[in-house]
Amino acid sequence: MSFITAYCHLNQEYCAVNGGIISRRDKQAQDPWFKQIYKEQEFAYPKFHKMDTLAQAGFLGSELIKRAAPALLTDYNDDEVALIFANSASSADTDLRFIRSYEQNGSPSPSLFVYTLPNIVLGELAILNKWYGENMFAVLPKFVPDFFLNYTQILLSGGSKAALCGWLEILGDRIDAFLFLIEKEASHAMEFSRENLESLIATGPVTQ
Amino acid sequence: MDNLKEDLKKQIIEQLNLEEVTPADIADDTLLFNDEGLGLDSIDALELIVLLEKYHGIQVTKPEEGKEAFKSINTMAEFIRNRKG
Amino acid sequence: MTYIGAEVIISPLGSTASDNWNALSANRSGITLAEKAGYNQEDIYLSQIAGISVDKRFEYLVGKALTSVEKHIDGDVIRSERTIVILSSTKGALDTDVTDQFGSCVTNLIAGFHLANAPLVISNACISGVLAINAAGNFINEKLYDHAIVIGCDVISKFVLYGFQSLFAISDKPCTPFDAARNGITLGEGCGVVVVSSERNIYKKTPLKLLAGTSANDANHISGPSRTGEGLVRSVTKTLQNNKIDPSEIDFISAHGTATVFNDEMEAIAFDRTGLSQVPMNSFKGYFGHTLGAAGVIETAASMQMIRNEMLVKSLGCSQSGTSKSVNIIAENRKASLKTVLKTASGFGGGNASLIIRNL
Repeated sequence: MSFITAYCHLNQEYCAVNGGIISRRDKQAQDPWFKQIYKEQEFAYPKFHKMDTLAQAGFLGSELIKRAAPALLTDYNDDEVALIFANSASSADTDLRFIRSYEQNGSPSPSLFVYTLPNIVLGELAILNKWYGENMFAVLPKFVPDFFLNYTQILLSGGSKAALCGWLEILGDRIDAFLFLIEKEASHAMEFSRENLESLIATGPVTQ
Repeated sequence: MDNLKEDLKKQIIEQLNLEEVTPADIADDTLLFNDEGLGLDSIDALELIVLLEKYHGIQVTKPEEGKEAFKSINTMAEFIRNRKG
Repeated sequence: MTYIGAEVIISPLGSTASDNWNALSANRSGITLAEKAGYNQEDIYLSQIAGISVDKRFEYLVGKALTSVEKHIDGDVIRSERTIVILSSTKGALDTDVTDQFGSCVTNLIAGFHLANAPLVISNACISGVLAINAAGNFINEKLYDHAIVIGCDVISKFVLYGFQSLFAISDKPCTPFDAARNGITLGEGCGVVVVSSERNIYKKTPLKLLAGTSANDANHISGPSRTGEGLVRSVTKTLQNNKIDPSEIDFISAHGTATVFNDEMEAIAFDRTGLSQVPMNSFKGYFGHTLGAAGVIETAASMQMIRNEMLVKSLGCSQSGTSKSVNIIAENRKASLKTVLKTASGFGGGNASLIIRNL
């Protein structure tokens, strides 16, 4: 058995951790939405500003989960945290920007090109946390609980002891991110089951 | 004040999305690729090549050419002035 | 036991594994000069499949590959509810629909082949193929499925070519992996298929044994290889340990060998650190180019052909080895009985993956 020990919702309107909203988008704000959260939460990782939107969403979600579940940083060896992510649009948001760089802006941009793969966000999380564990990025038509259940089961029965999972869908104004941490051992935590995962996705956060 | 150098600082910040850096943070002799300096990496170096073409009309065909030129704002300005003759 | 077989390779060298084997064993490359293909109208070396229309190339190749694999296995396997199709690709049908690069292909595979389960698309840069075969092995070891058909496919696009040009990573000659004068990759396109199963009798030809491996991140840089080969060392070490294989048992390594200065250097360091530097090794990139998400599947399939045909195939393009740690690059084809083969891959995002194939 394994458990959902922390989770984070991030969409166009709000960002929530373990069901509680921690930030609401200020549509009047000058800063882009992800930067707004970054500032509010007082993160200090200048590389954030160079990341594409997919990596920024992954950064925010995983940092917030780390705050909610600090054991993630202390209880595991550097190769025991697996990263299992998926979405349906792949890296299309950045792909479109890269296409614009050579079709309209004069030359293909190398710093955009390196983000035109969906798994780059996993690399960013690995670099930031010095995680040398297993990585998996799948492109699925929609959020499929079974993919996460099956692949987590596979990796947790191998060498991994925890899995940071995420659905990271970013395309233009469409922002739909849901990150969750799965651990083998936990007390007072929700069992990692299809029902629980589906209900977390469906109900969203409790407004505070 | 050297206009080219000040322009370069603004262009670098813009091209590389250095959101938390202002032109005043970059001295003319700040080492761009040193962690004690601006801490740029290999992809940033390639963006500097794009920058040279976009803002200054200079084509760099081999990344090695950029190595010396991109040490600091001083060396970049010198490189641009030499290439423009 | 987990079996692997029924391999298919579609590349500029042919549309079947045996066509491709004939070319490999004759050291024939699929790389040719494409005039004015580059962003600034430069001539560029590419390994391109001739004669398929630009529209829907990706979907066409995947469909063709799956049709072709049907001939090599029990006909009921593809439709079985105990079967999953795993698609490995970086950019899919990018040229057809940039915001939905896999949707149309997946929908048409389900309808066209009456698949019982939706295909799983794995997109992890250049390790996608090896990761997909490992995922297949894991699904079967965990008894989640009995059969997995792994299809690796990527096609050449302006998008990817211009991108690698912007990184100054395209070779000005056909790529020369591990050679002292290597200066970048040559892009390729193609499609590879392997069928992984718990049942030996689904294969029409004797299968081989898959020892599924592991992946490990370098935690170093999103686009630059680690200077120490850390992720590759960890992946290979765990793959050997998990399968209780000693480095001395490895008869051949199908390396990633992209022919960039830093990648090949990184691999040489990693194989030195893992005690594998004496093992005969090649890179298939000199034959197929770098087929990105397809590479791991195509190169595993090609390695399986080497086991079946008992031959070590020369690493094309390496005339003088040029890495700081020496590796045993295969200089000429030679007969050899190969029992245990290691396949590795490394890629953007810091990923590294490895697997082992054994002769039964």
